Amino acid sequence: MKILIVEDEKELSESIYTYLSSQDYICETATDYAAAVDKIEFSEYDCILLDINLPGGNGLKILELLKADKKTDGVLIISAKNSLDDKIKGLNLGADDYLSKPFHLSEMNARIAAIIRRKKFEGNSIIQFHQLNIDTLSKIVTIKNNPVELTRKEYELLLYFVSNKNRIISKEAIAEHLWGYDMTGNLDFIYTHIKNLRKKLMDAGGADYVKSIYGMGYKFTLQ
Amino acid sequence: MKLIAKYNRVNIPIIIITLVISSIAFYFMIRYVLVHQLDKDLQIEKEEIIHYVNEKGTLPEATKYKDQQIEFYPAVDNHFKTKYFTEDDYDHPEGEIKSFRKLEFPVSANGINYKAVVKKSMQETEDIIQMILLIVLVVIVFLLLVLFVANRFLLAKLWKPFNQTLDQLKQFNLSSKNKITLGDTDINEFKELNETALIMTQKVMNDYGALKKFTENASHEIQTPLAIIKNKIEILSQSENLERSQLHLIQTINDAATRLSKLNQSLLLLTKIENNQFDSNTSVDISLIVNRCIENYEELAGIKGIIIEKNIQDHIFLKVNDSLAEILISNIVLNAIRHNDQNGKIQIELNPKQLEARNTGNEPQVNTTILFERFRKDTASNDSIGLGLSIVKTICDTYGFEIIYRYSEGWHLIKIAFGNQ
Repeated sequence: MKILIVEDEKELSESIYTYLSSQDYICETATDYAAAVDKIEFSEYDCILLDINLPGGNGLKILELLKADKKTDGVLIISAKNSLDDKIKGLNLGADDYLSKPFHLSEMNARIAAIIRRKKFEGNSIIQFHQLNIDTLSKIVTIKNNPVELTRKEYELLLYFVSNKNRIISKEAIAEHLWGYDMTGNLDFIYTHIKNLRKKLMDAGGADYVKSIYGMGYKFTLQ
Repeated sequence: MKLIAKYNRVNIPIIIITLVISSIAFYFMIRYVLVHQLDKDLQIEKEEIIHYVNEKGTLPEATKYKDQQIEFYPAVDNHFKTKYFTEDDYDHPEGEIKSFRKLEFPVSANGINYKAVVKKSMQETEDIIQMILLIVLVVIVFLLLVLFVANRFLLAKLWKPFNQTLDQLKQFNLSSKNKITLGDTDINEFKELNETALIMTQKVMNDYGALKKFTENASHEIQTPLAIIKNKIEILSQSENLERSQLHLIQTINDAATRLSKLNQSLLLLTKIENNQFDSNTSVDISLIVNRCIENYEELAGIKGIIIEKNIQDHIFLKVNDSLAEILISNIVLNAIRHNDQNGKIQIELNPKQLEARNTGNEPQVNTTILFERFRKDTASNDSIGLGLSIVKTICDTYGFEIIYRYSEGWHLIKIAFGNQ
């Protein structure tokens, strides 16, 4: 799976590169408008991470180029502006999703996974992890063919975990993913939520996939 | 005290005193002129009598006409002086005591000395003086009346441009971005006032705009380093073989960075709302948003055992920005969950007039009148950043909604009245 990171901030670009590479994506980076246009013209990517404010040009222009060339690369806009205008313009120009800085890498990863899923696996909407089977179209979860009854948020949580498997995900990343940016303060309720999900998965015959990592958060893993 | 009252307080007494003094002076002057005239008449009469005596050698007949009487009295000698004087006397034809101007002088006929007295009634003089004083009085009253009317109407008209400017300045609102429009005036002072007011408001608006722009830019610039910090922490935390103490350090840094980032985003949001950077040209189905927010947080409430009861009327449209509406409602719902008891209750009601959210919970520890101010928070939940309700209030202000908070008998109530929308 090939991903292009168009981001002028070197450190950010590096963080994204590190995180995505560890998720077995093949990443390339571009730090300005011209480099981004070059890369896009010569190869195809499953997903492009696109910063709006680039040296040498506006990221929205790149979207227009993609559209003009009838390319089907998935695009996730990442912008510091958090401006509604940019968001609406970007989505209208064919971007698939929008993420404003600062964001959790796990969140970005989940969004990329969702974009790729929508773009690439037409008709094949099944995600598999060990004995776990998630149909992202019908939103049905099964373990060894046993259906697992999940609430809406539990389902979203599971999908988030699976997208970020073997990674530590912080509590606030989970809170923000499930309830949005407004979540602040005490996040102890996350524990209850995860306990419920864990119990449902184990009741259906699954392993204990969710590991609690002291002080940091949770990890969805087989080990 | 009004300027006009202050002005009148000085002006009216001065006018009255001037008029009184001048009428007194007037009185004495006219009296002097008239008496002088009488004296002249008496002098002519005296000359006529002396002429008569010299010619005929006898005294003329004493006359008692109404306006002029001549009397003769025997005198010891003719050495007394001729003198004019005023004296009250018995008026024969009228039969009452009246004021007379008299002239007495010595006259000799046939060797006998007489004192001749010619007297003229001062009745006419008094009448004239009275008339004149009456006219003066009428003029004073008329003048005061004219002044009063002038103050009432003329001054009100004169001050109109001033009052218009004042009204405009009162309505001047920094965040509304509306320039003040001042009426035309041909009075130099008011012209100058208007020009100064225009320049000042423009300057204030420019400064305010620059400050807002600065806040926004600063917030934006802070986002990127914050993003780097947070992402590096995330990568760092993925490292294998981290010790507990190291994990604890990472967690602490992460918490602080998260807090900073939320704070920054909230301030940025507030600035953007105040800068009117959210379009609100379309009608938004508030019922849909309220239902969606409740659905989003229902599970969260469920974890705390909180039951959400809702009574949402369908298809209520408001002309607001949908993102802001979402932020507003989700803040209210989250607030109702956060400040609730274990196994508490939330009631949310929406009708075309208002949105009401009630929730059970402890009595607030802070003064509730400053609940919507920035960085005010209940000490019990120290982990919130204290901007949620202030964002709610700012959004309400933007759309002219009235927001009320009340606590009674174990229930918090937040009511948003949509007003004219």
